[in-house]
Amino acid sequence: MRWPRSLFGRLLLLSVLATATALAVAGWTISGVLARAATRGLDDRLDARLVLLTDRVRADGTLDLAGVQRLPGVESGWAWSVRSPDGRIWTSGGTLAFAPLPLPPFLHGNRPRPAEGWDAAGRPVHARLVEVATSAGAVSITAAAPRHLAERPIRTALLPLLLCLLLLGAALGAAALVQLRLGLRPLRDLREALAQVRAGILARVPGEQPVELSPLADEINALLDLNEAGLAQARGHVANLAHGLKTPLAALAVRLEEPGRDPDRALRALVERADARVRHHLGRARTAAGRTARGAIALEPLARDLVDVLARIHLERAIKVEVAVPPDLFVRIDAEDASEMLGNLLDNSWRFAASLVLITSRVEGKLVRIEVEDDGPGLTDAEIAAAMRPGQRLDERCEGHGFGLPIARELAELSGGSLELGRGARGGLKVTLFLPRTECGAVFANRADGQLSS
Amino acid sequence: MRVLVVEDDATLAEALARALRAEHFAVDVARDGVDGQHLGATERYDAALLDLGLPGTDGLAVLAAWRTEARTMPVLILTARDRWSDKVAGFKAGADDYLTKPFRTEEVVLRLRAMVRRAAGHAAARIECGPLVYDAQLGQFELDGLPLRLTGLEWRVLTQLVLRRGAVMERGELVERVYEGDADVDSNSVEVIIGRLRRKIGAAMIETVRGHGYRLTGGERR
Repeated sequence: MRWPRSLFGRLLLLSVLATATALAVAGWTISGVLARAATRGLDDRLDARLVLLTDRVRADGTLDLAGVQRLPGVESGWAWSVRSPDGRIWTSGGTLAFAPLPLPPFLHGNRPRPAEGWDAAGRPVHARLVEVATSAGAVSITAAAPRHLAERPIRTALLPLLLCLLLLGAALGAAALVQLRLGLRPLRDLREALAQVRAGILARVPGEQPVELSPLADEINALLDLNEAGLAQARGHVANLAHGLKTPLAALAVRLEEPGRDPDRALRALVERADARVRHHLGRARTAAGRTARGAIALEPLARDLVDVLARIHLERAIKVEVAVPPDLFVRIDAEDASEMLGNLLDNSWRFAASLVLITSRVEGKLVRIEVEDDGPGLTDAEIAAAMRPGQRLDERCEGHGFGLPIARELAELSGGSLELGRGARGGLKVTLFLPRTECGAVFANRADGQLSS
Repeated sequence: MRVLVVEDDATLAEALARALRAEHFAVDVARDGVDGQHLGATERYDAALLDLGLPGTDGLAVLAAWRTEARTMPVLILTARDRWSDKVAGFKAGADDYLTKPFRTEEVVLRLRAMVRRAAGHAAARIECGPLVYDAQLGQFELDGLPLRLTGLEWRVLTQLVLRRGAVMERGELVERVYEGDADVDSNSVEVIIGRLRRKIGAAMIETVRGHGYRLTGGERR
């Protein structure tokens, strides 16, 4: 037999098997006890009759027939027979055929023995027989009664007994079911907590678990810690690398601007190329470092923070920003990725807007649709097609423009979303970002990232 | 204008200081977070350029400490940390502007001048005071529509006065904001510079307020 794959199924099967076995044994035992009690009652009456017959046996081994006239006749199904030592037989009528039951070894002496057989009419009878010693020899006396007299009480008791046992079985089964449901609930809760960790609703699996599950929860949390630490370390390395590469580049760039050092600005262009490469590959390295459990990121505060930052960075440009993001929208994404994506898109719009940047957001099924639009010159269809081609970077042709777009697109796709470019109603670029939506507002900041050095 | 550069990379710090001095700024350099925080908290600066990844105390902590001590000078963060979350954290810690490495010196200078101008309460890039006009974007003065040629010290004194046009500038504060930290300041050198400036822009333009300091008047006697 194959075990069911569910723990619930296995435990239920075991419990049902054990209950059924216990009930069967109980039923068999109880019916045996009942049968013995009913037979014993009949035996007592037959033994009384044997005593009467024994009293009528004369010393020479013959039967005093006059003395047995008062005994009930064959019509009631009761019968008797007496056999003298010389082979003469007296009966209540008809013949009795019976097979003596094997004598239990402890029954010695002249005590009645049980036997089963048939009367003259062929009806099954239960009999008792005894041998009485006389001077002429042993007289064998048999008294029989219809067997159904012994069986009827058993049969009438058996139905209620079976019914009781069935009810008991059902009750035990229900109890097992409840017990299993209650007993396995912590497992289900743990699984749900883990799913919530993955969905970014919880930071860690709750530590308060039943004794058996507590080590498992601890192990899961330790694994999450390890994962986060590894990620922080990888991001730290990237940050250190950024610092290590960019500071000398910055020094080089500043020195090249000193009079006479780079008259045709060729070296400066080289520095810019090196910087672009470094930025590109650091971006890739950050992506490759992996992500923490995706948090539930509230979109509106993030958008406000980024708009604040951009407004201050581009303080000298009078750009009006409209943020139409409902405060209850949450996206399931790494916090770092969310700010990189949205920051790049907003920065891009800011650079090219004539006077207005619009951020709108709404729910679309399981996704959140975020639109960032400006009233700048926008991109031509050919430029849009080029920007969406993998590996294409618009910033190599027109400085700054679209630098963040490929990174934002890559991050969106890594997070299970997507990014589309198009033309907005005001003629400028409209970037549409789709990100997976999450319900919960239980935000936790996953800032375990590599701010080690830069 | 006197600025504090907090940058641990010696080459970059020196190159940046040289570039800023070429634009007439007085520059003090701190090479770690502890020094930087101390200088920013005890000396008078018009602005600070702050790296974030510093030995000793991290740049964000330095900035937060200054802001806690009510040091309100504008701070431009110059860092390799180019993530948006870093920028959000930088501004939240109290930065006024943020540039990532590598940067153009020109950009740093433009942003520095703009920060200082805004901190002095001027929304527009052109500040006029009588016949004198200061273009805060280019960092140049014009007198009656003609460019004014100034030495570094003269420029620093005149920008201090023009940013507070009409108000009295304490003599002590003027000295602090004009000389670098390790400069050997002669007791009456400011008077000498004021004298030279008066010869260039007209004696009536700068009023001496006895016992206090100087005031840029725009040429009208009060």
